[in-house]
Amino acid sequence: MTLMVSVSVVRCPLYPAQRAFHASALLRRVSDEQKQEPPPSSSQQRFESHPPGDQPDQEPQRSHHSYTDQGGEESEDYESEEQLQQRILTAALEFVPAHGWTGDAIAEGAKALGLSVAAAGMFHSDGSELILHFVSQCNSELSNLLEEQQKLVQLGQAEKKKTDQFLRDAVEARLRMLIPYIEKWPQAVSILLLPHNIPSSLNLLTSMVDDMWHYAGDQSTDINWYTRRTVLAGIYNTTELVMMQDSSPDFEETWHFLENRIADAMKMGITAKQVQLTGEALVQGLMGAAVTIKNLAGLNQRR
Amino acid sequence: MAASIGAVVCRALHSRRHGKFLSIGRGLFSGARCLVAEGETHFGFQTVSETEKGEKVYHVFESVAKKYDIMNDSMSLGIHRLWKDILLHQMNPYPGTQLLDVAGGTGDIAFRFINYVRSQWEHQIRQKLKSHQNLSWQEISKSYQEEELKLPGGSQVVVCDINKEMLKVGKQKAQHLGYSEGLSWVVGNAEELPFNDSKFDVYTIAFGIRNVTHIDQALQEAYRVLKPGGRFLCLEFSQVNNPLFSRLYDLYSFQVIPVLGEIIAGDWKSYQYLVESIRHFPAQEEFKAMIEDAGFLKVEYRNLTSGIVAIHSGFKL
Repeated sequence: MTLMVSVSVVRCPLYPAQRAFHASALLRRVSDEQKQEPPPSSSQQRFESHPPGDQPDQEPQRSHHSYTDQGGEESEDYESEEQLQQRILTAALEFVPAHGWTGDAIAEGAKALGLSVAAAGMFHSDGSELILHFVSQCNSELSNLLEEQQKLVQLGQAEKKKTDQFLRDAVEARLRMLIPYIEKWPQAVSILLLPHNIPSSLNLLTSMVDDMWHYAGDQSTDINWYTRRTVLAGIYNTTELVMMQDSSPDFEETWHFLENRIADAMKMGITAKQVQLTGEALVQGLMGAAVTIKNLAGLNQRR
Repeated sequence: MAASIGAVVCRALHSRRHGKFLSIGRGLFSGARCLVAEGETHFGFQTVSETEKGEKVYHVFESVAKKYDIMNDSMSLGIHRLWKDILLHQMNPYPGTQLLDVAGGTGDIAFRFINYVRSQWEHQIRQKLKSHQNLSWQEISKSYQEEELKLPGGSQVVVCDINKEMLKVGKQKAQHLGYSEGLSWVVGNAEELPFNDSKFDVYTIAFGIRNVTHIDQALQEAYRVLKPGGRFLCLEFSQVNNPLFSRLYDLYSFQVIPVLGEIIAGDWKSYQYLVESIRHFPAQEEFKAMIEDAGFLKVEYRNLTSGIVAIHSGFKL
């Protein structure tokens, strides 16, 4: 609430009353439309429907404009531009299967919210903001899911999974969120690889991988920290690529591929350790041999 | 460009005078404004009363209406076409957009809008074919029809101008170039638009707002007629930021343009008015603040040709 008021104060020292009036008039209108249009928000849920752990992250998104869900008097909440943009993007996700990850989907999303289609002009015409919004939404869903699981383990209601099983489940859960949009996903990936999007998309990828390892219980503080995340990022990306051209029922082949890759990674970890131990043992053996030869040659004698 | 400016202001005053007859409440108020608070304003580098300015500008545009397009081309060396194209590109209208082009006189923006929407429609049809979606027979036949029916998606553009001469020229151009559907021509004052609230998706004013006597009123009217989520776009001359370039530009403006005006249109004074009025218009940041005062959010501007022209954009959110 104070956010919008402070915005209006900063922007317009001469006519604060006018702006507040405009702002509140709009928001009342928008919140009226929210009241009248439960269908769009429920269909949003359809696309974001995943294990029940998702309810909590639906709330923060909507809490800013409705404190009561019973359709009673809605409190007049000031909504900043960013929040409105988030809402438009969320509404636009529905139209992605039909229109692709483009400005057209955003325009349709704005229309669904009762705004003019010109509101899509706030975003890039190539749809990158929509994709980034979707990816960050999926990542926060995943975090919530992993947190829920951790809570259950702490409460003793579930067993702690082994690392490879845990990672496999986490990656699978995350990739399943792509299933409703899988047809247009290659387009999204190519847009995310555009130079002006790479910083943001890389950021999202690394934070997701970091999250996964954190909940998997990684507490390394050496080079392992980097290698683990790099390996997991590699696994995630390759599995994503496999998923995009997988046509088996319920993407069985993709999960099979994922299992193999994680097994490989684990083996690699074990093998690396073995190599290290062997190396150490070898070095020790050589040192011993050298000392023996020195003894035999009489070089170790002190005169 | 000067013509459209003057036309808008002239129209502003004319309709204010006729306001009493058209709509009593509003008319009385504006009439009262006319008689009681006759402020002073600038007409180029002269100081005139507000009523006088409107009249003068109306005459400016009345006289140059026929040569308006030719003058635009010669003064800006054809670059004004690029500016208008960039404006349309930034607008990126989605099919179904209702556009209001104020001070649109000869229809440049309106025609570009129609072209854009048509080409987008073809693009959409091609995309649908590519993705193997089955098109209904209706859609296929629509794509083959000449532009008999409405514009694709139901887009419409209303050209509003205060000066009847400019609108006449615009209508002739439209007939000549074959634009007929989805296009309407309305006489109106930017400070008192003859439209209901929340009617349009996009409001544009290209090289027109400079001539409006009360710019803040025009901005408020723009806010009124836009739907929630609607976009305000203004293409206008602005301040050049590069000092060296600014001197060249001043030289060109004051030495070359009025001469061209005399040679091509036979009207030195109108084009003298044009270049002087450009100098009086507020700079980019100041204009941005004015737009924000009217209630628009996410206001941004973009300089073209290093500041000779700027596109301001705001949203009614």
